[in-house]
Amino acid sequence: MLGLEFAAVSKRFGARLALDRVDLSLAPGAALGLLGPNGAGKTTTLRLLLGFTRPDEGSVRLHGRDPTDPASREGVAYLPERLVLPDRMTVGAFLRLHAALAGLEGSALDAAVVGAAEMTGVADRLRDRIGGLSKGLSQRVGFAQAFLGEPGLLLLDEPTSGLDPIGVRDARDWIGRARDRGCSVLVSSHILSEVERTCDRVAIMHEGRIAASGRLDELLQPGEDLEDAFVRVVRG
Amino acid sequence: MSVPAPRVFRLLAVEAIRDGVRRRIVPVIVVISLLSLLAIDSCTACASGSTVVNGQTLDPQATAGWGGAMIFVVLGLWIMVLSGILASDHLVQTLVDGSAALTLSRPVGRTAFALARLTGALVIALSAGFVLLGATAVLMHARAGADLSAAVLGGAACALGSCIVAAFAMLSSLALPRIATALVVLTGVAAVASVNLFTRAGVELSGLLGALDRFGPPLAGGLVFSVSPWVDGAAAQGAGTDLWLRLVLWAAIGLAGLLFAFRRAELGR
Repeated sequence: MLGLEFAAVSKRFGARLALDRVDLSLAPGAALGLLGPNGAGKTTTLRLLLGFTRPDEGSVRLHGRDPTDPASREGVAYLPERLVLPDRMTVGAFLRLHAALAGLEGSALDAAVVGAAEMTGVADRLRDRIGGLSKGLSQRVGFAQAFLGEPGLLLLDEPTSGLDPIGVRDARDWIGRARDRGCSVLVSSHILSEVERTCDRVAIMHEGRIAASGRLDELLQPGEDLEDAFVRVVRG
Repeated sequence: MSVPAPRVFRLLAVEAIRDGVRRRIVPVIVVISLLSLLAIDSCTACASGSTVVNGQTLDPQATAGWGGAMIFVVLGLWIMVLSGILASDHLVQTLVDGSAALTLSRPVGRTAFALARLTGALVIALSAGFVLLGATAVLMHARAGADLSAAVLGGAACALGSCIVAAFAMLSSLALPRIATALVVLTGVAAVASVNLFTRAGVELSGLLGALDRFGPPLAGGLVFSVSPWVDGAAAQGAGTDLWLRLVLWAAIGLAGLLFAFRRAELGR
């Protein structure tokens, strides 16, 4: 069963066509980078995957189910583009809540919270209120909640936004570790080098369509890097 | 890993209650409640003195009954308004700050999420209600021998009315700004309570107002019916089946409307 599958999906917001007959799939253990300029439809794709909105045409399946079915999101972790965490909660309480919602209990929950906090460098901030954290630390807390319970599918929307260069490198390592244990990854990003280092397949979106997709070596023409290929595809 | 639905609801409801307690409005509720306790103490004290009007000494038990019933109804309506005010942003705030999207990216159903947020708002309002209505009932019982079972019924009417107001406030908040929702809550409760009270006072209402009294949610009607034994010293007339049915029906309509609208709401934009 595919981790996720889009079949001829279209989505309108008023008169604007946000997605136009998009086909997309992600096999278990694979990592797909979703690239595209602003407004290309990347975030709408993720929202459809999580059941936050419904397609006007076509079908979206997450783990073989309709994404509005909560069971489809078992083993799924999400890091949104505009990460706003609840200011008044402590980091520890926030992570414990999400670990419990991910299905963890008792000592497994405690171990997962400590493990995710240590991996993302927020273990010494568990008692702090989220509202007092810097943007970079908040993003690390966002990553920590995404890695709780060893998810089988990571959905990351501009994941390194707000991170310093060390944080960016750390994030790449965390995603790599998740991939090493068989986790599927879908990354939406503007940062081409990040996608290039994290993913084995790329889909370039433009004006709501998949303008090009495939393995990196298939997309690149001789002498091109990913940036050249991206500009070629988007500018036609 | 699958999480049983009751556990998901419990986790979210506990967090919704904690989230409510952390809000700045809670200290205001506490202060208002303390002031209300002083008013309750004063208004239920009539039974221990004598009141003379136009040279006639009024029966102190009857005077206390009127005073106690009036303050019980007013406080019950205040708790309903409070439920609506708390509910008016307890769900929509999570949509604005993005925490709903993060929670709903987990295997969490929208129904459980909305019901948990509603529960969070109601628990805070009804806790204040328990203290205020409970204090009124206990003082009335101690000072005027008032029937405590009437207060239990009144508490149930208040809880159902609060559920109705909170559900409609939360539903309204999905479409309207918070200030508009607060105005809807205030005017809605005031309008329904007014027609209920006018009718109980013997005023004949027709047309829309009459229909609102006969078919609308009996927010004040349920409270008045419950504590009427305090006023006339007898059991409430009839079983009030119509009132209770309407309270339950309107609560069900409010919940169904809220869940229907929230399941269709677009998230994360």
